[in-house]
Amino acid sequence: MRGIIDRTGGIFLVLVLAAAVLVPASNLLLPEGSALHVPDYMIPLLGKYLTYALLAVAVDLVWGYCGVLSLGHGAFFALGGYAMGMYLMRQIGPRGVYGNPVLPDFMVFLNYHELPWFWLGFNWFPFAMVMVLLVPGLLAFVFGWFAFRSRVTGVYLSIITQAMTFALMLAFFRNDMGFGGNNGLTDFKDILGFSIQAPETRLVLFVASALALAAGYLICRGLVTSKYGKVLVAVRDAESRTRFLGYRVENYKLVAWTLSAMLAGVAGALYVPQVGIINPGEFAPAQSIEMVIWVAVGGRGTLVGAALGALIVNAGKTWFTGVLPEAWLFALGALFVGVTLFLPKGVLGLGAQLSGRLRRPEPAAPSPTPTPAE
Amino acid sequence: MSLTPLNARQLAAKTLAGAPFPGTTAASPPEVVKSPGARSLEADDLLLTAARPPRDPQALTSALLYLDAITVSFDGFRALNALSLVIGDKEMRAIIGPNGAGKTTMMDVITGKTRPNTGTALFAGVHDLTALDEASIAQLGIGRKFQTPTVFDMHTVEDNVLLAVKADRRAFANITWHRTAHERARVDELLERVRLQDQRLRRAGDLSHGQKQWLEIGMLLAQEPRLLLVDEPAAGMTDQETADTAVLLREIAKTRSVVVVEHDMQFVRDLDVKVTVLHEGAVLAEGPLDQVSADARVIEVYLGR
Amino acid sequence: MRSPTPPRHGLSKRRRRAWPPSAPGVGARRWVPAAMRVLILLCGLMTVAAAARAETAPDLTPMVAKFATDSYSDTADALAALSSSGSPRAAAIVAALADGRLLFDPVTKAVLVRTKAGGLEEAATGAPVASAPADLSPVRANNRVRRAIEAAAGALSLLDADPARRREAAAAVFKSRDAAALATVDAALAQETEPEVKVALAEARAAILIGKADAPEAERVAAVKRLAARGDQEALGLLRTVPADAPAAVTTAATAGIAAIEGNLKFWAVAQNVWYGLSLGSVLLLAAIGLAITFGVMGVINMAHGEMVMLGAYTTFVVQNIIRTSAPALFDWSLAIALPLAFLFTGLVGILIERTVIRFLYGRPLETLLATWGVSLILQQAVRSLFGPTNQEVGAPSWMSGAFQVGQMSITWNRLWIIVFSLLVFFALLLVLKRTSLGLYVRAVTQNRRMAAAMGIRTGRIDALTFGLGSGIAGIAGVALSQIDNVSPNLGQGYIIDSFMVVVFGGVGNLWGTLVGAFTLGIANKLLEPFAGAVLGKILLLVAIILFIQKRPRGLFALKGRAVES
Repeated sequence: MRGIIDRTGGIFLVLVLAAAVLVPASNLLLPEGSALHVPDYMIPLLGKYLTYALLAVAVDLVWGYCGVLSLGHGAFFALGGYAMGMYLMRQIGPRGVYGNPVLPDFMVFLNYHELPWFWLGFNWFPFAMVMVLLVPGLLAFVFGWFAFRSRVTGVYLSIITQAMTFALMLAFFRNDMGFGGNNGLTDFKDILGFSIQAPETRLVLFVASALALAAGYLICRGLVTSKYGKVLVAVRDAESRTRFLGYRVENYKLVAWTLSAMLAGVAGALYVPQVGIINPGEFAPAQSIEMVIWVAVGGRGTLVGAALGALIVNAGKTWFTGVLPEAWLFALGALFVGVTLFLPKGVLGLGAQLSGRLRRPEPAAPSPTPTPAE
Repeated sequence: MSLTPLNARQLAAKTLAGAPFPGTTAASPPEVVKSPGARSLEADDLLLTAARPPRDPQALTSALLYLDAITVSFDGFRALNALSLVIGDKEMRAIIGPNGAGKTTMMDVITGKTRPNTGTALFAGVHDLTALDEASIAQLGIGRKFQTPTVFDMHTVEDNVLLAVKADRRAFANITWHRTAHERARVDELLERVRLQDQRLRRAGDLSHGQKQWLEIGMLLAQEPRLLLVDEPAAGMTDQETADTAVLLREIAKTRSVVVVEHDMQFVRDLDVKVTVLHEGAVLAEGPLDQVSADARVIEVYLGR
Repeated sequence: MRSPTPPRHGLSKRRRRAWPPSAPGVGARRWVPAAMRVLILLCGLMTVAAAARAETAPDLTPMVAKFATDSYSDTADALAALSSSGSPRAAAIVAALADGRLLFDPVTKAVLVRTKAGGLEEAATGAPVASAPADLSPVRANNRVRRAIEAAAGALSLLDADPARRREAAAAVFKSRDAAALATVDAALAQETEPEVKVALAEARAAILIGKADAPEAERVAAVKRLAARGDQEALGLLRTVPADAPAAVTTAATAGIAAIEGNLKFWAVAQNVWYGLSLGSVLLLAAIGLAITFGVMGVINMAHGEMVMLGAYTTFVVQNIIRTSAPALFDWSLAIALPLAFLFTGLVGILIERTVIRFLYGRPLETLLATWGVSLILQQAVRSLFGPTNQEVGAPSWMSGAFQVGQMSITWNRLWIIVFSLLVFFALLLVLKRTSLGLYVRAVTQNRRMAAAMGIRTGRIDALTFGLGSGIAGIAGVALSQIDNVSPNLGQGYIIDSFMVVVFGGVGNLWGTLVGAFTLGIANKLLEPFAGAVLGKILLLVAIILFIQKRPRGLFALKGRAVES
């Protein structure tokens, strides 16, 4: 374990676990007037940030360590979310507007007579959870198997991941796909028998998100500190050399890619009950690109930085859209430009970058940071 | 000898069986890549103890590397034109030729980077190199050094060598990996050999050009290849470094085959081995350096009058 | 959250303009609503009534007298009689009736027409009436009478002096298949001289005859054959109405005709889809062609490329606004004026982006991708803040509106011009790259930057100019696309994935590949649509391209060999 958790990682884990304990404690124990009291409405918001952080960790695993810039991770996130959403839809039962005990409202509305085959089993929680992992994992496996074997790399790979999520978005917008079309899945009632609106349920979901983030971090960290991880970085920096050393590069990429997709699926599954809706907008390419900037802001190839970046950017988004909605896209756009130009190592690398600059002033030219991806 | 068309699947099966490699130090445990249908352990032991591996009874040629009538064309341009070349076991060969003669393409074909349009490429008489990918070919025991030193900049010098040390290359096996005593010993030994033991914890990207060259050679040795392909090792080196490199290569060639592509005629002379001259994708002349450099055609196309 | 983005090319764009009655070409007239057509006919009738042919002047008095009985059925009878009378007065009377200007004196039973000027004249003769009778009532109309009026007006204009109007009238009869008009049609056919109108009349006659049980069998068969020869959807509809109890010869002819028309229509449907595909291909080409420069030649992943297209469209919008307010006469020239301005404006924006952002990121494609995505967000929001988030009206000059008919497919002028325009831009660009010194420098810098620098080429400046060129072409594309797509801040987003697909599919760094790629994808998309639907067709195509890129990562026209490695 000692090799796996470094100082930054240790601090990060302590903070995440502390949040998992302190936030519920403050919400339940402190009086509402207290300055440290976390109000009820904040809980799902914070929980949402944590699922984004997990998603960012997943993106960083493939981008930071494997050099695969995915512009389609939103697809895996959304598929995990849809799997959870399908479970939640089935839990509504006869409480829907149309009162059909089996069919969700949108199916009644669209004149479905029976449940499509791919909805079967989703009323059973363990099955849905397996699907949360399996569906994104399978898509990633098939996609990656083709892409990595034919050695599609760099920007080409990024563009086809974007096309993948774009195609899925178009598909999920269709009513006859059987996933609620434009409106997606919503109006959830309860999860495992507990009301999804209840503050206690939300606290549990928050804690689950924190634990999932910690676990996801540990899994990724374990992976990247193993020899496998060293090979992964080798692939990122000199793919051809790694091949000539006898490593079958496509398999290494495929493992990380598939795992990353599954983590993204878990993040999506935790996201959906906390925000109460999943719709095809999550597949939009713009969403997936935004995830990448979380990672870039925090610091690519650090895992902790990715999580940190997700929290910073999304907190900023919440603040901006509340105060200055017009300015948010300006800020986000500037963030994309600024981070790539001036902050190649992200917030986490800021300290090192500054101290490095103090020690020996860099030439005026843009920092020739080794940028391995392609 | 005449060659019958090879059954690719048959060859692939043989490849998987993974003949162990000579040159493995006696101390090294037999942790060769194992795969279903691998030979029995006794056979492995037998082979390891043998000074020189007995010829595979099914081998089609006694040469370690056998290229016959290899043709590669890019959009009508023939980079290799019916090239034939035979490298024996523990032979060192220098390959010279003008730019565009097909030297790099030939290396690409041997290492599986480029598929020839036609022709036969056999390793150890049994492995069809035209049907294998780079990783399999590397695992068979063919190492390649690029013209510009290519190391993993972000890794430490130590990790660079560690990644090259012959071991299980499969992804899942490396997730649950623990550093073995053998690996530790091998890394120490190799770092010493390429004189980088003081640099072991530095990032490879911070090394000087010459140090990177040596690190890469160390990594190649760590692979324990039976055949080493070296592309212009003397490029960008001082005279002293060039001479040192020639000595090192000669030493390496005592235990394995080496193919050196080089422009520097002095370096080739230092190597003092059989020379093959390539021109327009085919062999123009072959023999000792003095003999080929007297060849009128070689003078015409390469050495100049 | 973005709203769904259904494929935006196609012909999905709402028509913003009503079809002007003076639209060029005839095809457009097919869609003029029936009510409007009647109106047009009536107006026409009144203005040309006086000039109507006067050689046959039967006495209208007995027919006109029926209007004075104040009975709907008499009125309808009178209308029927008038319409087949062939009299030049008939049209004026029918028009007056339609407008409520046909009056009668309940006492004297005189029937009078109040002219538009306010005077009175005798209905039957048109002679002016000096003194108005004291008590005049208008001839009343109920629905039946109104229908009769329409039919009569239609029939009467069959004899109009204007061939175009006669042809429209024939088309109206073809639609209504009013058996009462048969006599007039026959009369008109007998004296018709214009071949086109003759065909229209013959078709109208056939349309009446096929359903007319008492018509001679041979005539009905001939009618069926004539309709089958017409070969369009309407003829098909008519042939399907041939009753089953019609004589065997008629029904067999009808069945054969239906089969022939269906085959014909199938062919034209494919042709129409190919046309749509060409149109979509030209849109893709326009969108991708600038990218072929910035991405294909320079290797810069410009995610803000779509926004350059968007800026070009907004430039058009601004130019048109200025023209509308200060020089409306120049409106037909608005696109021509917008073209250079859009090129300059987006080109300058492109150069600005290159100098401030992209030049620091050369050789780092993934970072370039992210930074330019940021630029695209900023540009979108800037336009949204300036112009608002809604669609802007960009008008079409007259030479770009309307449509014409080729066989069974209709071709709109704007789409045709855009295809022509996309090819012009393509070849102009090819010429620039192959024949000008800028092109030479561009190729030199992109092939070997250091060597070019060593030879004294200012590579930084060439980079900026090249990027400006690519962006400028995107702006030009925006001018064209403003004609067929909604001009909104999101305009560019819909094109970015498609553009990349085209460039990658065609082969990066190969302009011809972009051309072939654009039209291949366009046509493939439109041919898939009838089978798979618009959305699914698009998805299938995306999947196909993804698979294709896996198979040939370097595209259709890939460069091979050593050049790729560097």
